[in-house]
Amino acid sequence: MSDTADRIDTVEMPREGLAVVQASDISSERLELSADVVIIGSGAGGAVSAYELARRGLDVLVLEAGPYVPSKDFTEDFTESLETLYEDHGGQANTDGDLLVLQGRCVGGSTVVNGCVSFRTPDFIFEEWHRDYGLTDFTPESMAPYFERVERNLSIQENRPHEIARHSMVLSEGARKLGWSVKPFKRNIRECALTGHCLSGCKTERKQSMLVTYLPWAAAHGARIHSDTRVDKVLTENGRAVGVEGRVVDRTGRHVADIRVTAPRVIMAAGAVQTPVILQRSGLGNDQVGRNFACHPSFYVGARYPQPIHPWRGAMLGVYVDEFMHPDKGGFVLEVGGLGIAELCMINEPGTGKPFVEYMQNAPHMAGIVTLIHDHNVGEIRWQGDHKAIHYQLSDKDFPSMMASLKAAVRMHLAAGAEEVFLPSSEALSVTREADIDRQVDKLVNKPQHLRMVSYHPQGSCRMGTDPAHSACDPQGRLRGVEGVYVADASLLPSSLIVNPQVTVYALANYVADRVT
Amino acid sequence: MNNNNLPTAGLEPLTRRGFLRAATLTGMALTAGCASLGGRRTPNGEAVYAHLSEEEARVLTRLTEILLPTEQFGLPSSTGEVPTVANINDMAGDMAPQTRDLMAMVLWIFERRPMASFRFSRFTRLDDEEALRYVRAMQSGTFFERGLMTTLHTAVCVNYWRDSRTWPGLDYHGPVTGIWGVRRLGNAPMPTA
Repeated sequence: MSDTADRIDTVEMPREGLAVVQASDISSERLELSADVVIIGSGAGGAVSAYELARRGLDVLVLEAGPYVPSKDFTEDFTESLETLYEDHGGQANTDGDLLVLQGRCVGGSTVVNGCVSFRTPDFIFEEWHRDYGLTDFTPESMAPYFERVERNLSIQENRPHEIARHSMVLSEGARKLGWSVKPFKRNIRECALTGHCLSGCKTERKQSMLVTYLPWAAAHGARIHSDTRVDKVLTENGRAVGVEGRVVDRTGRHVADIRVTAPRVIMAAGAVQTPVILQRSGLGNDQVGRNFACHPSFYVGARYPQPIHPWRGAMLGVYVDEFMHPDKGGFVLEVGGLGIAELCMINEPGTGKPFVEYMQNAPHMAGIVTLIHDHNVGEIRWQGDHKAIHYQLSDKDFPSMMASLKAAVRMHLAAGAEEVFLPSSEALSVTREADIDRQVDKLVNKPQHLRMVSYHPQGSCRMGTDPAHSACDPQGRLRGVEGVYVADASLLPSSLIVNPQVTVYALANYVADRVT
Repeated sequence: MNNNNLPTAGLEPLTRRGFLRAATLTGMALTAGCASLGGRRTPNGEAVYAHLSEEEARVLTRLTEILLPTEQFGLPSSTGEVPTVANINDMAGDMAPQTRDLMAMVLWIFERRPMASFRFSRFTRLDDEEALRYVRAMQSGTFFERGLMTTLHTAVCVNYWRDSRTWPGLDYHGPVTGIWGVRRLGNAPMPTA
């Protein structure tokens, strides 16, 4: 272990950018490295772990599978960003192909391409973890210092009036007419420039993603970061982690070098899809690794208004409805979100040919609501020998919640004055008056390729708990069955959060890092 | 619309999950990347694409005409002014071999799917009304057909409206940071505690 005082005394940080070893920097066919801790993934979990451990004086090495794209190179073009910044070029899907699982795949991970929404873990979720998984250490009070720390570090604050865009103002009024509780989001952003391109990365570093916060801070404390580096396996000897091995692959897919890292501690932070895949390839962990996958399946419910809304103008996410958040009240959240042209093409089926062109011509009059439900952990991530597989179908148990959230979103649109609300289906279905909501929505059935769903929040595939028969990790984030391997990403979450998970992951990663010995 | 006459019988069932997923992945790949104009033209004016076969280009061009009759709305032509198919061609050039093969299979099937119900005619030989009926039938067909159609529909539409020439018609501003001259903040300051 390195000397803490030496490292802290030499902290220096560039004003912009990040020192990252990329594939283009590698000239040998084999890299042999060593570290006190090797961290797989540079998103919410990996970056926070890297900083907290590096500032303690540990020699930290972060390996990121995706590329390093500095902020100045972001294009504000969503279709192009899918190609460069997202897992599988934005095409990561379940085995049925009807659920897109969007994750960032770049230095900074999903924190680079998310909408900045920052919720603490709801209290009733902690109660559920306590009751069902024996996680007595996790309470709102015990986790408060972690939340406060990341909220302070990431400039998390409630949207101010100028950050409530027109779409959010209009829909807030709809919620108020219905008597529903509606609140401004908290977001991790400084001096929001209201460009509306959050999902393509923030070009001017206003979004406080890991790319401009915890990663440069970790690097300033001596952490090394390698991009374009895909970890294939975690290596063990006599039941203990001894490092990892993988490949350096450039942006064209060319295998540049093999890499082997010797390290007594391995932190898995590759996200809820990749973390279990790497563990399965390594033959590590119990049979719970990869199980219990949840994903917050979401609808994007779009509607046309008589007045111009311009859903791409202003802060992308303004307000949310928490009226139905508690499971006893429905178990879903409605988030008002802006959208761009590409998204408009994808979310609805208003009809083919002329009706579609007319729908697109009405784009400036559109607004949308994202639904999030508290889904059950029915999915599974599997490494199939040569590819990953995301087995997730909306369960019949969760289908009523999805429909309830959809009906509420339609009601809110209509209360706000929408002329036509489009249902997220492969069929051209819409609602123009409240009396038709049930009849139209009830036409939807839970079958493949009927609903248009997106997951922004994969989680739960290496869940923590006190019972080894039902959890992959213990309550301190240690993978069961092997010493020195920790999980510090959304894989740990024992049940789906119902709200955007980034702050929970930051806090959990900090919690796990504090327990790394 | 009465779907009873639409093509469903007499065709090979296409319900394998893996294929369906592949079709979706192909579609998503088609929606991403590719910004530049591609293709050249033969002496008789037909476009030639580096990464699409003649048949694939024909299918995509015809599908674009059916899905996006933009000129009727005073928008830039989806097959002339905006290089929708050329954009897809560029993307095909960047695809991994497996994804490219899957895209070829999706287009091959789509072209031949109507043969049983439309006088043995392929998609590209259907008249406008028949082609539109075929597309709509696919959209309300089996789960595989719905998935395939959603994929192709999305790919074509995104590759049209991603072109900046279509944006004035939608009052869409596109990238703004440069235009507005928004100042960069750089890395966040190191926490003090």
